[in-house]
Amino acid sequence: MFSNIIYSLLSVSICLLIGKVIELFLPIFPASLYGMLIFTALLHYRFLNAKRVKACIEWAITNMAVCFVPAGVGIINHYELIKNHGIMLVTIIFLTTFLLLTFVGLTYQRQLNRYESTAKKELNK
Amino acid sequence: MNDNLISEISFMLFFIIVTLVVYQAYAQLQKLCQKPWLNPMLLSILTLIPMLVFFNIPFDQYYQATAPLNGLLEPAVVALGFPLYQHIQTIKKQWRQIVMLLFMGAIITIAISFCVTIYATNQYELAVSLSLKSVTTPIGIALTEQLQGNNSITAFAIILAGLFGALLGPPWLAFINVTSPKAQGLAIGAASHALGTATISSISYEHAAYSSLALIISAVITSIFSPMIINTLVHFL
Repeated sequence: MFSNIIYSLLSVSICLLIGKVIELFLPIFPASLYGMLIFTALLHYRFLNAKRVKACIEWAITNMAVCFVPAGVGIINHYELIKNHGIMLVTIIFLTTFLLLTFVGLTYQRQLNRYESTAKKELNK
Repeated sequence: MNDNLISEISFMLFFIIVTLVVYQAYAQLQKLCQKPWLNPMLLSILTLIPMLVFFNIPFDQYYQATAPLNGLLEPAVVALGFPLYQHIQTIKKQWRQIVMLLFMGAIITIAISFCVTIYATNQYELAVSLSLKSVTTPIGIALTEQLQGNNSITAFAIILAGLFGALLGPPWLAFINVTSPKAQGLAIGAASHALGTATISSISYEHAAYSSLALIISAVITSIFSPMIINTLVHFL
């Protein structure tokens, strides 16, 4: 158990480190995103043992939200902004989120329906 | 000098522990009640703000003291590679369709959010922050810094977008006849990132798989294209 935690920590750190190096040369993405893709690739091509990192990574993902709290508390520095534009901002966030939900949901559902109906037709033949 | 260091470290420990305890308390509460709107992150923020105001602690002091927590965001993103790895096999077949769809969705909403916010408030900072609200927080924050938006507005916008999609997403999608778990997962992952994904993962395995896929692809697409879109729009507006 303990060695699995060390193993997971080391693999994530190494991926992040490689990500940082790549970011130096190719500053298009944040280092963490490079790190994530490298982590996926290493797991996929079995350079890393997925079974050993599973428990630790799942724990980290369920608890990662706590790291966002300090940035969120920063909203108090913008009291004036919220007072002046708060309702407008919330409305924009609300509407555009629903737009994206509806667009992606409807389009993909339609693609799935089409896929299923052609599959059925072929079955009937 | 030495005294300074000691007081700094004790500040750090104190604020980090307070943040962790508050968060953990709400996380336990959510586990007990199983209500998605009892979001521990949102509730912790809403609890810590009055605390700082009441004890007259300047935010900068709190933020510096909790810097280690903020630093954990980067490894957290790397860890998201694990669910992606788990779902690679499931999703390989429809790869191109999905990427195309998420690409269009992301581009349209970034452009609309940016333009509407500029039109409504005339503040570039706010517009950047709001247009980056559909990606997961660490990436949203990294992009905000790159594009000179406003970190805390982005953080808050991201939480709100996450909550809207997590809470209202499933009933709304069912209402407009989007009933397949795949389509629901994809839509909520695209619009409401990790928060939505975490919330709907309890519905089914398929929801979880498609939602984390959408979250990751949208993050990649947004990181590549949002700087271009925003720089182009700024040019025209």
